Parts: sequence; structure tokens; C-alpha cells
Amino acid sequence: MSLVLANAWRIARRELRGGVGAMRIVIACLALGVAAIAAVGTLSRAVEEGLKADGRRILGGDLEVSVGYRPMPEEARAWIAERGGRLSAVTELRSMLVVEAGARERMLVELKAVDGAYPLYGAARLEPAMPLAEALAVRNGRPGLVAEAVVLERLKLRPGDTVRLGDGLFELRGVLAEEPDRVASPAVLGPRVMISAESLAATGLVQPGSLVRYEYRIRLPEGSDVGAFRSALEAAFRDGGWRIRTYAQAAPGVIRFVEQTALFLTLVGLTALLVGGIGVANGVTAWAESRRRTIATLKCLGAPAATVFAASALQLLAIAAIGIAIGLAAGLALPWVAAEALAGVLPVPPRFGVYPGPLGIAALFGLLTAATFALWPLARARAIPAVALFRDVVARAELRPGLGVVAANALLAALLVGLVVAVAEERRFAAAFCAGAAATLVLFRLGAAALKALAARAPRSQIPAVRLGLANLHRPGAPTGLMLVSLGLGLSTLAAVALIQGNIQRQVTETMPESAPAFFFIDIQNDQLERFDAIAAAQEGVGQVLRVPSLRARIVAVNGTPAEQLQVAPEAAWALRGDRGLTYAATPPEGTRIVAGSWWPADYRGEPLVSFDAALARGFGIGVGDTLTVNVLGRDVTLRIASLRDISWRSLGMNFTLVASPGLLEQAPHTHIATVHATRAAEAPLLRAVTDALPNVSAIRVREALEAVSRLLRQIGAALSSTGAITLLSGALVLAGAIAAGRRRRVYEAVVLKTLGATRRQVLAAYLVEFGVLGVTAGAIAAVVGTAASWAVVTFVMRGEWAFLPGTLAATVAACTVMTMAIGWAGTAVALRARPAPLLRTE
Amino acid sequence: MDAMVSGLPLAASAERAEESLIAVRDLSFTVASAAGQINILKGVSFSVAAGEAVAVVGPSGSGKSTLMMLLGGLDRASGGSIRVAGQELTALDEDALARFRRDHVGIVFQSFHLVPTMTAEENVALPLEFAGVGDALPRAREALARVGLAHRTRHYPAQLSGGEQQRTALARAIVARPAIILADEPTGNLDGATGAAVMDLLFGLRAELGTTLILVTHDERLAARCGRIIAIADGRIESDRALS
Repeated sequence: MSLVLANAWRIARRELRGGVGAMRIVIACLALGVAAIAAVGTLSRAVEEGLKADGRRILGGDLEVSVGYRPMPEEARAWIAERGGRLSAVTELRSMLVVEAGARERMLVELKAVDGAYPLYGAARLEPAMPLAEALAVRNGRPGLVAEAVVLERLKLRPGDTVRLGDGLFELRGVLAEEPDRVASPAVLGPRVMISAESLAATGLVQPGSLVRYEYRIRLPEGSDVGAFRSALEAAFRDGGWRIRTYAQAAPGVIRFVEQTALFLTLVGLTALLVGGIGVANGVTAWAESRRRTIATLKCLGAPAATVFAASALQLLAIAAIGIAIGLAAGLALPWVAAEALAGVLPVPPRFGVYPGPLGIAALFGLLTAATFALWPLARARAIPAVALFRDVVARAELRPGLGVVAANALLAALLVGLVVAVAEERRFAAAFCAGAAATLVLFRLGAAALKALAARAPRSQIPAVRLGLANLHRPGAPTGLMLVSLGLGLSTLAAVALIQGNIQRQVTETMPESAPAFFFIDIQNDQLERFDAIAAAQEGVGQVLRVPSLRARIVAVNGTPAEQLQVAPEAAWALRGDRGLTYAATPPEGTRIVAGSWWPADYRGEPLVSFDAALARGFGIGVGDTLTVNVLGRDVTLRIASLRDISWRSLGMNFTLVASPGLLEQAPHTHIATVHATRAAEAPLLRAVTDALPNVSAIRVREALEAVSRLLRQIGAALSSTGAITLLSGALVLAGAIAAGRRRRVYEAVVLKTLGATRRQVLAAYLVEFGVLGVTAGAIAAVVGTAASWAVVTFVMRGEWAFLPGTLAATVAACTVMTMAIGWAGTAVALRARPAPLLRTE
Repeated sequence: MDAMVSGLPLAASAERAEESLIAVRDLSFTVASAAGQINILKGVSFSVAAGEAVAVVGPSGSGKSTLMMLLGGLDRASGGSIRVAGQELTALDEDALARFRRDHVGIVFQSFHLVPTMTAEENVALPLEFAGVGDALPRAREALARVGLAHRTRHYPAQLSGGEQQRTALARAIVARPAIILADEPTGNLDGATGAAVMDLLFGLRAELGTTLILVTHDERLAARCGRIIAIADGRIESDRALS
């Protein structure tokens, strides 16, 4: 064994001295795939590290207690103070900011009222620079206010201007350039505006039942056990309905988002590596082919097959190592470069560094891919007989490795799949990806077989170019399958990404607005209802006005089992994480689709009942007759499920997870929410009329909210597309490699054809027929695969409504054909230029 | 042997160029190599009348194969002129040369040079197809039958023996009824008996079709079957003799 290895090593070293030749394609393919995966892994880790390292600053304390829609009781404050905790209270709500001059322009803002202790960690940066407390303090009888730059731009404000929030007047003191806890408590529907807690009362915005969130940040003395403090706090105030986060989980939603995006990008990167794997197989085959005489010679000289195999494997290993190393270096460098462009998208500045985890995983992916795809051609090289030296080049025996090789290859493939699933956050999705990828490979192989069979059976064309082109597809040893797969995988990925993106875009920009209202008005008080209705009715261009009571409730128990002990399906877990919309109604709201149970009688006054979201009920594993305990403004209320409803969230109508029977909840302090349909021209006057008359009411302009969502989706789409492009690049590389591998044969054929009287145009036409048919076939299969993949992702992962987008597909197929023909032409043009004489001479 | 030589003066051969099928004047061919320029042909002149059979003989590296490549328009001369069937080859571009071959020349190589991915009949049909002939395949099969391969039409080159491959190449060379057959060591890759059978076939077809034959060989006995032998040495014509 040691002799075998020693000899193999010697041979490998000597052969590698001559350069890597045909293996350049292997290096390039591995480098591309590994780079994509390493880059995605490094960037997402850097972002997560950034989040982790800054956890206290991001959260704004060691812990945050979300009390919900009422302030924290005094006893709890005292309890915290007794244990040395410093408390900072932050109140968040939405409001209209109105300019107290000129045309009285206004916009919806996310208002944050902070106390003197804010922020407990980090600092708010203002422009012009000044301490936050000074900026928010009362000066000349007016409290101060700072706002994000966009507010100043949109409303054409300057520091010193006067603005109104509800009933309160404020002096704008400056720009809020950096808000330390922006990531953990983001401003979603409008830009951030900050005032002091003392000045909030004068605005009159906080009314019974208003959508006001109270959050309390706690800074513990240096060295305190945050976990223990949290447990003690939870134990002491068990019934508070609070949600407590520690700095270690400052932004779980953001981390989830980063992880999901990273998973998507990693899978796209894996597709690139998969395509690269085909390039590896191809490159190794070509390389083995070029070493045929060497191998035969070695065998003639007495080298055992094991030595030949080991020598080949060692060379491949060295070459794979080069490719992987290049890939890792690129994967490490890329995020640095990309960070500049991504600055606006990333939630926190990434903490760059060499993270061995993601790099190791990327390297392992590269190595396993190389091994999986190279084993077969290597085993074939091992089987090259010594007699190959003396046999005619065209008369080649089929070399078939044994069962052991088949088993080993299957094992390698299984390891690769295992690794994909093991490192993925969402295992089922990753497993589905692997199954899909395998099915796609099989589909392209079948497609290639069908194409070859069809080309062989096609009626003989009178046009030699067509006949030659088709013959090239089905002739013995034609790389039709290889070219189809290499090109098709990349295109399938791109088609899938394009279709997913198209579907998202379509849902946001096309489907929604048709039925979507122009405004959501929130925080309408009971005594303002009549006035609101009158104003809306008086405005020209205002259509349907829907108004319902609105409460916020947190689901705290199901059938008596506390929420934190519930086992629910992952897709329903979101419903337990925060507050859900709750309303009450005597009769089913318009458009209600009851799928189980029945609605209560209009005059029902018995035990509190609820109509629940059918999808969530499925996820919770409950149905009609079960109970839900919800916490409403600090009070637990148990509701029995009377019916289940199908809710179409995308309708952007008045959708409530929970609709309760009237009675009990009518007594709870609450406000009303209204949707108003209006023509575009009527929007501005309506907004002005409502918010002038009812200063505490806030308006959410649906168009603007949709635009914000659309912007975010575009950014995600861009990330997907660019990663998808790597797959296509990889595919193009493999295709070019396949063409390069067959170049000698093509040049020879072209020369013989020219010798027999073929013009260059005829030879070129034959190539165009060959690559054109190949491109159209690859495009057609890619269209099918891309459609299926996008359907699966949109339907099962995004839970959206999938639509067929023929335009996108047609563009994909067309681009595919053109690209194949271009690459094919570029790769074979050299064959047309070849001078015949040198090739036709015998030795 | 010297007694059989009838050296023709260059002037005489130039005179004959007017009515000859092939007229070569002052032909030279040079290639650049790392060691400097190599002159492979150094001012070769001769002409061949229609229907003649000419053997070109000479030692390895003498330039005889290069001469044949130039006659077939497969390489470009460095100087001089080659007139074949009324066309000045040195003035034609690549595609025109291809058409010239298609219409006037059949070539048989030592290494057969069949397209490995096409069957015997497809290989033979190629020159006709390039010329846009409608019944290319039936005529290809006819040609294959002529060389005794009627039963091998659907076989790929790799499935044929060396002799069969060369016979296929022969069928391909004659299928379009060219005025000239250029044969470069056609028996070089074949054993004696097979080679002899292929040559019998070649000469038989030539006689039957009245084709002009240029045969490059270093087999004296083969050369002797031609009516005329041009001997080349070191890029020059050493002798040009008609056999009685």
C-alpha cells in the first residue's frame, strides 16, 4: 500500500509539473461555487455577530419588558429598583405630524416618547450635535422634538420650526441621525420622531384603548445574572401578560430574516456548486482522456490500477484544493466589497472577520462536490487498459467501473445531501431542495436522451447543415447530456428566481391595490365616531367606509395550556409571538368565509365566543369548541371558539385574527379602526379633514406602506438574482468547458468537411443548428423546472398565491437559446479557422 | 532504371501547361519554425494532362505530401502558381477552395479521415450533399457497392476494418465523379494484401472513370503502376519520367 501511495505521489507530482491543463475548468467551477457559499455564510455571520455584539445597545438595555397597551404597574417598577435595576420607559405610538405653517403639510410618523434615562446603552446622535435630553427639553415654553432626516425633507422643515402632534406644539430641534435601538424596535409605517415622555401627555394622543406600546428597558448592575433576573421577574409578575427579551435575543426577527435570506442564497450558491460539479465531472473526463496514453503507458510499464487511480486522485485533490482555496479567498473578500453596496439593506454594520464556521462548511461543500462528481471519471481512467496505446483512437471500448464505485459514489452523494440538510436552518426546505435538484438532474438527463433519440429519428434533411447539426447531437459520444445539464441547471435557477420575484412583485403591485383601501385610520375614539363618519361622508371621491372596534390581544393560553408550553406548527408560531388584532361583532363582517362552526345569533349575550383564523387553528391543532385565553390590556379573557374563518390577508381589508362576540369586550377601553376607499384626488383633502378635526387619529396611507414593502422585496430580489447569476455563470463556464473538451474533435471534423468541399458557412450553420436545438431544449426544460420550483417556493414557503408568468419564461428561453448559440459559436469558431493541412498529415 | 528515364525539360512542360489539367509553376512552400524558416518546396514546376496517372515519390520529408496538400487547396503556397482545371488556386479564398475541391477533386488519405460520428454512407454522401445534390444517399450507396461495401453502409468508421475504412474513403473520393483523385500514401496504414486490393480498386475505378490520378507514395511497385513518376528530393523535382 505504501509503495502504491509513494509511486502514486511521485507520478502525481511529475504530472502536475506540466500544469493543470484541462483541469482549469475544475478549478474555476469549484472556486465559483465555494466563493458563493463562503460569501453568503461570511456575510450572514458577520451580520449576526454585529447583532450579537451590539445586543445591549440594539435592545436598549440588558432586558426589555414589553408591557403591551398600558403602563407598567408601580409595584413592578419598585421591584426592579429594589434589585438595583435602572429603568427606562419608552412609549411608542403612531401619530400625524403637522407643520404649523403654510399649507399645514402632514405625514404619519412613528412617535417615540423617551424618559431621561434613555438610552441606557449607546447614544442617540443628533444633527446639529447636542445631547438628546437638551434637544427634547422645554425651551421658550415649547418642548423639543427630533426627527429622521426624511421628515425634514418631506415637510420642508428646518430646526426651529414649529410642528404639531395631536394637541401639542413642539419645536423641531434637529435631525435624529442615529437611533441606538432602531433595529430592535423599528419604525415600520413612518419615519421616527422622538419627544420626551413629559411632553407626551400634552398631545392628547394617549386615550383609553389607543394603540400605544409601553416598553421598559432595564440596565442591571455590572456583573448581574441577566437570566436569573429575568426568571425572577417573570415569576413575580406571572399574570402581567408581558413579553421579556434579553440582550442576547435583541432582534430575533431580524436574525430569523437574516437566516432565511442566507438559506435562500446558500441554496442558490449550492446550485452553482452543483453545476460546478458537472463541470468537475466533465473536466476530469477530459483530463483523463488527455492522460489516456500516459495511463496506458504506465500500465504497460507495470503500474497496478491502484497506483494509476491514486495518482489521478492525488492530482485531483491538489487541483480541488487550489479551486477551493481560491473560492474561500473570494468568499472572504466579497462581503467586504458588497458591504458598501448593502449598507442600506443590512440591519446593523456587519462585523467582518474570518469565521471558520461558514468557511469550513463552504470548503466541505467544495470537497464533497469534487469527490462526488470526480469519482466516476477517475474510476473510468483507472480502467483504461494498456492496450489502449495500440488501438485506434476511434475504436474505444466502453469503460464501466464496478459496483463498488457505484456504491462509493452513492455514499458521497448521500454525504453531500446530508451536509446540505444538516447546515440548513430549515431542514425540510433544504431536503426538498436536494430532492428537487436530483429530480432536475434526472429530468435533464431524460431530456437529453429524448433529444438524442429524436435527432437520430428525425427525417433526413436535404440541407446538410441541418443534418450535420442534428447528427452532432446524437452521434456516439456526443456531450449532449452534459451540455444540456450544465446550461439547464443555471437557467432553471434563474428562471425560478425570476418567477419568484415576478410573483412577489405582482402580489405587491398588481393584485393588492385593486381591492385595497386608500387609508387605514387608527385610534378613533368612541366619542369621535359620528364626527369621523360625517367628515368621510362629506368628502368628494370617498367610497366605502368600513369601521370596526379594535383591540389588541395576546394569546396566552390554548385550552388552558400556557402559550410557552404549546407545541404548534412552525407556520403558526408567529401568532403566539406578539399581539393580534381583536374585534367584536354581532353579525359576520362583510366577506366572512366561515369554514367550520357557525356565527352567534345577533342578540347573543352568553359566554364569550370567538371566530378564529382557520389556518392558525390548523397550526394550533384546535377547532370549534376549544378555548383561547387572550390578554387584553392586562386582563385575561377566555373565549370559546364558535367558528373558523378563511382569511385572505392579501386583500388588505379589515382582517382580524380574532372576532369575539359582543358583550364583555364592549366594556373594555378600545378605539376604532376604519378603512376608507377614495379616489387618488380625494386622498389629500380627506387626510387633512380627518386629522385636522380629530388630531389624535392617525392615517396610514396604504400606497406608501405598499411602496415600502415593495422596496424591501426588490432588494431581496436583487440579492437572489445576483446569486442566481453566479449559477448561470457557472453553467456557461461548464458549457464552454464541454465545448473546449470536444474542440479537437470539432476542429478535425471541420477540416475533413472542408476537405470534402464544405464552405465555412455550411460548417457554421451546422453548429448553429446544433447549439440552437440544444439551447431551445435546455430553455424549455428550464422553463418547466423553474416554473415548478417557483410554484413550490411561492406556495409552500411564502404561502402566497402563485401565478404563471409566460412573459418571464419566454424571455428566459430566448435568452437561453441566444446564449447557447453565442457560447457554442465562440467555442467552435476556432474550428472554422483551422488550416486543414497540418491536421490531415499523418504524423 | 536510368534507361527508362525520359527527363522532360522545364520549357516543354511549361508549353504543355496550356492544355494541361494541372499546371504548377515555380511553386514554393515555407514554414516558420523556432529554428528559422524551413523551405519545404523550392520552386517546383510541372504539369499533368487530363487522364494521366502520376506517382509522386521521394523520401520522408522531401515535400511530396505538402505538394499534394497544395494541389488539393488544403494549404497555401508561399510562392508560385497552381492552376488546376482552369482555376488559379493561389487566388481563391478558403470557401472558394472548398467549392473547388467539391467540384473537381477527390482525396484519399493514408489515415482515411472519415468523420467518426457518421456512418459509411453518410461519409460518402458528404461531397454530394455539400454540392446540394438531391439523391446523395442512393449515389453514396452505389459508390459503396462499387468498392464492395454494399453490406456496410450503416456502419460507423469504428466498426469497420482498416481496409474497409480506406475503401469507404475511396468511395467518398469518387462519388462526385471528380476530374482528379489525389491519393496520399493510401496503403500506408494497411497490410500488404489489403493494400494491394485497395490499389487494384483505385486503379480500376480510375481507368473506368478516366480520372486523373496523383498518387503520393514511396512504394516503388505502386509508383510503377502509374504512367509517370515525379521524384522529389529536398523540395525539388529530381526527376520527372514517363514510363513506357
